[in-house]
Amino acid sequence: MLLVLSDEHKEHLGFLPEVDSAVVGEFGRIAVEFLRKGTNPKIYEGAARKLSVDAETVQHGVEGLMYLLTESSKLMISEVDFQDSVLVLGFTEDLNQLLLQLYLENRKEIRHILGELTPSLPHYHNLEWRLDVQLASRALRQQVKPTVTMKLHLEESGGDKSAKVLQTDPATLMHLIQELEKALAELKTTHCRRILRNIK
Amino acid sequence: MELSESVRKGLQSLADPTLFDLKTFSVLIELAFRSLLTAHADRSVLDQPELKHIDQKLLKHCHTAATTCILEGVKQNVDKSTISGIVLEIMKIRLKSGGIAHLRQLVGTTTYLCHTCAWRMLGLMQREQMYSTSHTSIGRCPPHINDVSWRLEYLIKNGHVHKVNEPSYLISLNVENTNNGGSTEEVNFSCTMEQLQDLVGKMKDATKSLEKAMQL
Repeated sequence: MLLVLSDEHKEHLGFLPEVDSAVVGEFGRIAVEFLRKGTNPKIYEGAARKLSVDAETVQHGVEGLMYLLTESSKLMISEVDFQDSVLVLGFTEDLNQLLLQLYLENRKEIRHILGELTPSLPHYHNLEWRLDVQLASRALRQQVKPTVTMKLHLEESGGDKSAKVLQTDPATLMHLIQELEKALAELKTTHCRRILRNIK
Repeated sequence: MELSESVRKGLQSLADPTLFDLKTFSVLIELAFRSLLTAHADRSVLDQPELKHIDQKLLKHCHTAATTCILEGVKQNVDKSTISGIVLEIMKIRLKSGGIAHLRQLVGTTTYLCHTCAWRMLGLMQREQMYSTSHTSIGRCPPHINDVSWRLEYLIKNGHVHKVNEPSYLISLNVENTNNGGSTEEVNFSCTMEQLQDLVGKMKDATKSLEKAMQL
């Protein structure tokens, strides 16, 4: 599957052949760093001064690289497809190889970062449990009531953690285990296996 | 078992044959038990035809005294002799103030009261499962899990990443907040197969230790 680059994108990336491959490598490193941590406009000014060009040109170049990397990682295109897509820009073979290396080394990490943008529910993190026996309360004395107190640790996609304290009785706990084991068994059925095998 | 002055007075009035004959007395005791066992408060619980001839204020006082006595008894898990003892003690005070003319009837009522109360209370404690559940629902505890629903999905792609191709589970725990009048809420979270296996494994550990504790 080929990437289709817009004219504006091609124009922005047109800046790259005009500089050394070392500089392009540096831009690549900056692009990945910006994807990880967010952009820092001061870097553009510093680079612009060193290369005697507009800060805006540098910015477009780096942003063009960032977009190229994110789109390729999102679609998970193969090496061949990436090379063919970049061919359209008319760069030198060295530059193409550099870009390909940049893509292959960083795509897993970029996909992981993109994954954090997706809407998602809190994710299971851990479960702590405790067995209690209630002996008495203000309302009723001389009881023997076994309960299981659990602390469910959940994690949001942004990294925020929350913990919920919940309680259940032994009979309900058995029922919960039964239901969840059914859920696990479902993944091993032929229907699910067929889907997992065929949708790749 | 300690009873307040107001409750004792109520029980004394209840045992007075001039105020409550045997039939009225048994109807009121029946109502007292019924109003404790039903889930919803019934405002018309005392609107019975047998009780219409009794002063409403007195009726309310006696009903309250009876229900308080029953609640205290169940809370303390009292035995038959304790109940009989308490009731007899109240009746003794009654006997002292009343005349000998009413003695026979009073003794009859007292014995009936003792036996009815004792028997009913013991019967009630044998049905402790039903009753103490409502009794223990008075009080504070963490939200209680009632049920679980699950959903297995296969994530193909989303707006930011294509070709995800991963199965994931969506678990929903039905949780009841016993503190705020039984409101239910749902705790939703997603997990992978490995995480669900971890969760189930930990729950099984809890069950195993529960079984071990039961055997001790």
